[in-house]
Amino acid sequence: MTRFAADIVPNPVAIAGLTGDVAAFLRDAGVDARAVHHVALVIEEILTNVATHGGSPDAQATVALEVQRDRISGEIGDRGKPFDPRSGPDPDIAAPLEERRIGGLGLHLVRKLTSVLDYRSDGKQNRTAFSIPREQERGLSHGPQ
Amino acid sequence: MDLSEQQVGRVWVVTARGRLDGATSGQFAQQMEALVTGTEPRLVVDFSGVEFVSSAGLRVVLGLVKKVKTLKGALALCAVQPAVREVLEITGFAGMIDIHPERATALTALS
Repeated sequence: MTRFAADIVPNPVAIAGLTGDVAAFLRDAGVDARAVHHVALVIEEILTNVATHGGSPDAQATVALEVQRDRISGEIGDRGKPFDPRSGPDPDIAAPLEERRIGGLGLHLVRKLTSVLDYRSDGKQNRTAFSIPREQERGLSHGPQ
Repeated sequence: MDLSEQQVGRVWVVTARGRLDGATSGQFAQQMEALVTGTEPRLVVDFSGVEFVSSAGLRVVLGLVKKVKTLKGALALCAVQPAVREVLEITGFAGMIDIHPERATALTALS
């Protein structure tokens, strides 16, 4: 089993550095390009959400990944305001149309790209867990051609 | 993110390399907006070297597309990597933006 773990104070530059490290780690572990991109993207979007809406800009967050045969499983821990990424924010109906269309894109991607998305909070710490399938799993699920 | 541009006829061809994310989207927007001027600006953005696009990058692309349309111009992407292409499709961007498999076909479409 191959694992990755890191601590981060999420800001755009630190997030870019971390997701670059994640991508390099996954490539080295032999993970396909699609899964490499999407794991890095899901981490980027969740951490960006924590940085933007969490309300604790200096609080450290944690990222842990596990490369499994058929998927990559990850967990992000943060001490921001409780927020379930499966629920998503209410759309701002007062916003102009063009802003409404771009709002929530990050969480939309997180929901669409993950095969598993779980969230729990103990009142102090949020834990967001996700899985993204590797290419061979997707291939098998399509059955014989 | 590295950008280099060249003019081919009346089309700007921009070759982008690297990551389009929360750390780089501001710089990308600034450099691209400098080319989105005048009447009917035409741009092809070669994404073959863009390895990562996040929602922050998508917002900038959307802003550019809107500005180009306001000026009655055209913007197309070409040679988008498969994972990035999937992101464009999931978010509905693939239906809003012309995406060509190769630079040559994009240039033909915009020339």
